[in-house]
Amino acid sequence: MSRTRLNTILIALFLTVIFLWLAIPFAMAILWSLVDPDHAWSYPDLFPQKLSFGRWSEMWATTNLAGALANSYTLAPLVAVMAITLAMPTAFAFGRLDFRGKAIAQFISLLPLVLPGFVIALFFTSLLFKLGIYNKFLGIVVGHTVLFLPFAIRILSVSFSQVRQDLIDAARDLGAGPLSRFSVAYLPVLKPGILAALIIVFIQSIEEFALSFVLGSPDFTTVPTILYSYLGYNFIRPNAAVVSLILVVPNVLLMLIFERLLRSEGAVTVGGKG
Amino acid sequence: MFSRLFNASALTIILTSPLQAADDISKQPWSEIVEQAKQEGQVVWYNWFMQPRFRQLVSGFEQEYGIKVTIPDGTDDGNKSKFLAERERPEGDIDVMSIGGDNLAKFDIGTYFAGPLDFLPQFANLRTQIDGGDSKGYAVAYWGNQTGLAYDPTQIEEKDLPQTFEELTRWIKSNPQSFAFNDSRGGGAGSAFVQAAVRNTVTSADLAASNYAAAWDWFKSNSNDYGFTASNADSLTRLNGGEFKIVAAWEDHLAGLQQKGEIDKRMKFYIPKFGMLGGGNVVGVPANAKHKAAALVFIDWLTSAGTQEMLSKEMGSALVNSLAKSAGGSIPIEQRAFSTERLGAEQSVQIKAQFIEKVVLSQ
Amino acid sequence: MNASTLTGWRKAAIITLLLLPGIGLIFLLVGSVIVMAIAQSFGYFNLAGESVLSLDHWSGQLANRLLWVSVIYSLKIAFVSAIVSVALAYPIALWLRNPFPGSASISALLKAPMMVPGLVAAFLFINIISFHGFLNEALVGLGLISTPMRLQNDRYGFGVMFLQVWKNMPFALLLLTGAVQSIHSDILDAARDLGAGALSRFRKIVLPLTLKAMQGALVIIFIGAAGDYSFQMIAGPTKVSSLAQYMYTVQHEFGQWNDAAVVAIVLMTVALTGSLFLAAMVQFIVAGRRS
Repeated sequence: MSRTRLNTILIALFLTVIFLWLAIPFAMAILWSLVDPDHAWSYPDLFPQKLSFGRWSEMWATTNLAGALANSYTLAPLVAVMAITLAMPTAFAFGRLDFRGKAIAQFISLLPLVLPGFVIALFFTSLLFKLGIYNKFLGIVVGHTVLFLPFAIRILSVSFSQVRQDLIDAARDLGAGPLSRFSVAYLPVLKPGILAALIIVFIQSIEEFALSFVLGSPDFTTVPTILYSYLGYNFIRPNAAVVSLILVVPNVLLMLIFERLLRSEGAVTVGGKG
Repeated sequence: MFSRLFNASALTIILTSPLQAADDISKQPWSEIVEQAKQEGQVVWYNWFMQPRFRQLVSGFEQEYGIKVTIPDGTDDGNKSKFLAERERPEGDIDVMSIGGDNLAKFDIGTYFAGPLDFLPQFANLRTQIDGGDSKGYAVAYWGNQTGLAYDPTQIEEKDLPQTFEELTRWIKSNPQSFAFNDSRGGGAGSAFVQAAVRNTVTSADLAASNYAAAWDWFKSNSNDYGFTASNADSLTRLNGGEFKIVAAWEDHLAGLQQKGEIDKRMKFYIPKFGMLGGGNVVGVPANAKHKAAALVFIDWLTSAGTQEMLSKEMGSALVNSLAKSAGGSIPIEQRAFSTERLGAEQSVQIKAQFIEKVVLSQ
Repeated sequence: MNASTLTGWRKAAIITLLLLPGIGLIFLLVGSVIVMAIAQSFGYFNLAGESVLSLDHWSGQLANRLLWVSVIYSLKIAFVSAIVSVALAYPIALWLRNPFPGSASISALLKAPMMVPGLVAAFLFINIISFHGFLNEALVGLGLISTPMRLQNDRYGFGVMFLQVWKNMPFALLLLTGAVQSIHSDILDAARDLGAGALSRFRKIVLPLTLKAMQGALVIIFIGAAGDYSFQMIAGPTKVSSLAQYMYTVQHEFGQWNDAAVVAIVLMTVALTGSLFLAAMVQFIVAGRRS
């Protein structure tokens, strides 16, 4: 079977799967978000009796959604950048060097991932309080950065390990200084890893509830606070649908941007494992 | 870093001695407290349910005293975690904290709350024991709620509703998978039903001896016929979705969701003759609250007879001020007589633990 | 810098400096938190009353059948979620390795679930499989079944596993895409020319060269799934708890803070050892094939 025919079949299969995997859930969410506030959607109706944008305007007006969005989308990029910056040296060590105690260090790097929710909510927050970080924003930044460092370290370690030694050597032999060695031999291979790490830490920060609520509430609310409010005890599905959809739009846009940036690497032809 | 670790262990010492902060304020005359409250100008109240609705309803207080009330969005655990984590801060974010009555035994009240609040003007009319919990005077009830059974009148008629526990058992057997209650880990309506089952199947001698075997037998013999949902909200959602005909629910929760258009307004609620418990929540002032005077004045307003009547009318709560007069409501007064009290904290925990172990996890 | 030229204390100094911002920070902050949790498991920080140093919480919990049932359940969910996520991601990563028309959009669409908050995903899922939800109505409408099926809260945890894979496969895809693309086409071409079939090329070239990325994905997905609470609460079986759910029950339902800390330590241990075991197993399988 030729490559293009295989591709066509796979694409058709893919589209069917995507329809079930993504389109239906989202269509349901959209439908729920349009349920009119005065007419609940219940059995036996197959579709909501009345559709309106009432919920959208109500949610936007009555909850601090705009503020929460601004907060979350300021917090997350900062956390992502900080996590990458702090992770780089460690990732270099893990990816390219061998040393005694490496296994222990790698083990330690996993610790933030395994912290259970209430340990974070009670102990980590009180630790941050005790450290004197009373500025809410700063406290959450520190908290999130530490919590998501493992992602950055892992991803960047893998990237660093993919850098080709012969390119580095060649660059040095040709007399290139450390900075140009870095940009020629390291950067191209690191870029996809950096982007992947940025986006993953970003997403983790956007979704994190326990720490950002305990530290930030009530002055600095983040999107998960609003989300959990409507998807928990006060389970009001239409409102939750509105919040989810509002959330998804900027996320998808960011995703597309990152996808564009990732694509432009054309990594198959650039360096990599020999 | 090590000094911080020692500070951490010093917590254990701090946690066992109550703070003195509130003593000063309790000695002032009430008029002075009100003045101070007005100067403070704001109060932050952490409540985990119906926050948007409460934001509307506290406007009366804001206008009367000129004190701004902030009710942040949050969740039950989130609020509790924040409350517990803030303990060591010299000044916390929370001025007024809501706790479910049945949660009072889970932390050391005296060290977390300022008080006791017996200097509040209306203290004599207020409840400090509710929902199986005892606040020992550090918190007062502001909200009463009632559990019962929510049903879909298009699926079952009022005259056919099971009223005694035997009728319910027969109904469940002849209508399998039409009645449901929720896992206690997802909310109190389910554990309210479990307690009702305990009270109706276990003899009083056995109950006093904490022998609940008869109840677990009932559940096991009916396990294929009742539905078991994940949470309060899940029960109501599935009632709304046509999967069940009768579910255990909170009266105020149902009313709130109906108001918000999540659940169809046609759903009704009744308290069966076999009795289901009434519970409630309390409010207190954290020991490190920033605006203590405003918090106290707010609590006084929240628990006053007038406000209680308003809350009952608007949100379907039960009254917790002995001077407040009932305005009636959607449930006939006669049914209110079937309301029971939650069993004490220790027994409630035993029942929950045994239910999970013997009924839920053994199947 | 050439790694092989570093020796002795100079090497140690440089390594320490490199590790300080990342590992050092984690060690200090998270280390303190874990110490507090361990202290709580031995009786300190009893938020409900007096703190008494005691081993009872440990002995009590370790003897409790509920704890071990939760451990096994969480391990099962974690293993399956991690392995299935990665297993699904590999063929897709390989398919998308060489760009073709539409591959960029496909790649973006596949990664979309990462952008959906977990809680939202769980509720959308429940919505669809509910008694009168889309799936049941469609199947009944098509005449494939006569009455709706009760799919919610299935007793094996398939709902939770499905959600984990839905959410995590894009993450595995992200990691594996980079790794797979870094394999030089020369090698694969040479192997094909030498007569190696697709499966052989995969096992002998792709797997070993992408091992680190795969391990990274497996470990992170495993740990996340082992500690899951919200998927379990919403879509999980009612007859068995996940470790995080059991921990929550002990803490919130029973108010037993110290016991909850014990469960927390058990959870952390299970997540760490399970994930490391998985990574080691994969290493053995892949490296074993090399010879």
